[in-house]
Amino acid sequence: MNLRRHGFVALVSLFALLFLWAPLAMVSANAFNRNELLTGWDGATLQWFREAIGDAQIRDALRQTLIICMLCTALTLPLAISAVLWWRGAARRARRWFDVLVYLNVILPEVVFASAMFLLFVRLHVSTGLVAVVIGHSVWNTAFAILILQARLSALDPALEEAAADLGANTWQVFRRVTVPGLLPGVLVAALIVFTFSFDDVVTSFFLAGSQVNTLPLVLFGLIRFHVTPEINAIGALVMIFTASVTLVAYVVLSRVNKIRRGALPTGLA
Amino acid sequence: MRPRTLLLVPSLLWFTAFFVAPLVLVLIHSFGRMDLVTFEMRFDWNLQNYRNILDPIYFRTLLRSLALSTSTTILCALVGLPVAYFISRQNDRWQRGLLVLVIVPFWTSFVVRIYAMVNALENGGPIDTLARDLHLVSGRINVLYTPKAIAIGMLYSYLPLMVLPIYVALERIHPSVLDAASDLGANGWQLFRRVILPLAVPGLAAGAVIVGISATGEYVIPEILGGGKTLMLGNVIADQFLNVGDYPFGSAIAVSLLLVLTLLLLVGRGTQRMEAIT
Repeated sequence: MNLRRHGFVALVSLFALLFLWAPLAMVSANAFNRNELLTGWDGATLQWFREAIGDAQIRDALRQTLIICMLCTALTLPLAISAVLWWRGAARRARRWFDVLVYLNVILPEVVFASAMFLLFVRLHVSTGLVAVVIGHSVWNTAFAILILQARLSALDPALEEAAADLGANTWQVFRRVTVPGLLPGVLVAALIVFTFSFDDVVTSFFLAGSQVNTLPLVLFGLIRFHVTPEINAIGALVMIFTASVTLVAYVVLSRVNKIRRGALPTGLA
Repeated sequence: MRPRTLLLVPSLLWFTAFFVAPLVLVLIHSFGRMDLVTFEMRFDWNLQNYRNILDPIYFRTLLRSLALSTSTTILCALVGLPVAYFISRQNDRWQRGLLVLVIVPFWTSFVVRIYAMVNALENGGPIDTLARDLHLVSGRINVLYTPKAIAIGMLYSYLPLMVLPIYVALERIHPSVLDAASDLGANGWQLFRRVILPLAVPGLAAGAVIVGISATGEYVIPEILGGGKTLMLGNVIADQFLNVGDYPFGSAIAVSLLLVLTLLLLVGRGTQRMEAIT
């Protein structure tokens, strides 16, 4: 690393990384802190993790969160896959219109989307709850999944499919033997990312959960408005480990796939 | 209809029913009126809801939202540019490692990150203690539950979104370009002003759009770090829909927020064009 040449920028970068990591490190450390008031370090304990895992409200929220994540992923993927398969061969103008729709989805402030969905359910006299949350999550997650799959598809050279067709494969065989394997890593990454986004969501859930549904982020959202406790640190540490490891898996899968296929398929999608 | 077009149908129906339709519904409701006692909707098709936004209480919130998102975007750019530049000048291995270090905090749970900020900014927390030990403040820092805490929290949450696009723009600069500038006698400042900054502009613009839009519509951060007062537009919208139940007024604020964002985007694009011409 070229530290001396970039003295100033190196220093700023160091502070920026410290700024990004120190608060997370503090939460993780305090999750083990025996000092209940968190006024200092009194040695390590697993008590807060035991309490967090033993808490019925937390366990129930975790269960509901996982159900929502799985339903959302199951709903999102087919929608996104079929959309990008169309997109790939569509006319330029149609593609551009579709892209605008997708980008609007991604860029719209979530609080506006969530209030709009809330209004839709209210005006249709449909009660909010689990189904509403799953639908809500699946709308913007479909857009994110489409972006990921588009990136993967643009890395997939059409020449491969043309070559397969020239070699005598019919349309279905080309799709089954060339397009699907090419798209698969993208699907896997999209699934992991959609799952994490849904797992992590606060705003859409907050508007659409109603009184029956409680997700883990909503429980945390409710708790941290009032106080800081060692138990929240423990839940926070667990959630952090969970989301970080899911994304790490996505990252490793992606770099592996790219490495294996290097030469056979162009790499892309970072 | 060609069979391929059938593939578009599911997602198009999906987005129409649950993205376009709700937003159209919001637009329609913004011209309506709701009796808050009987909860009856009437549509007078006038601009009364929009006129109510000009009421100082709400207008000040609008201005505060804009001030906070602008300062967050500037802060992100000021910190993000050196960080992105530093990363872009390392070898491949270090680049990848440093990028992971920037991205991983962004991938950890949003609520947990904001909670971590509460911990850090609290009176009696590490920053407060440090500031008092160094005699920077007398008494407490009193940052948590103020607009300052919101700006810090947004900088903390959105910094990676600024670093990544700038990095993408700067990573393409070949080292020889910088060497050439130095050899021709450019000093550090000239190198930055004449070579690095112009090349960073596309990344800065992309980052500013992403950070600016996210920050202007932020809801969770002001709710927690701002102490739950109606400090930003996002909070006012949520309050109108979920607590007050005045859907028409909430809708009008939501539409106004979108109008403001569109305006900012257009101004941003306009200035970029102007720069391209001059």
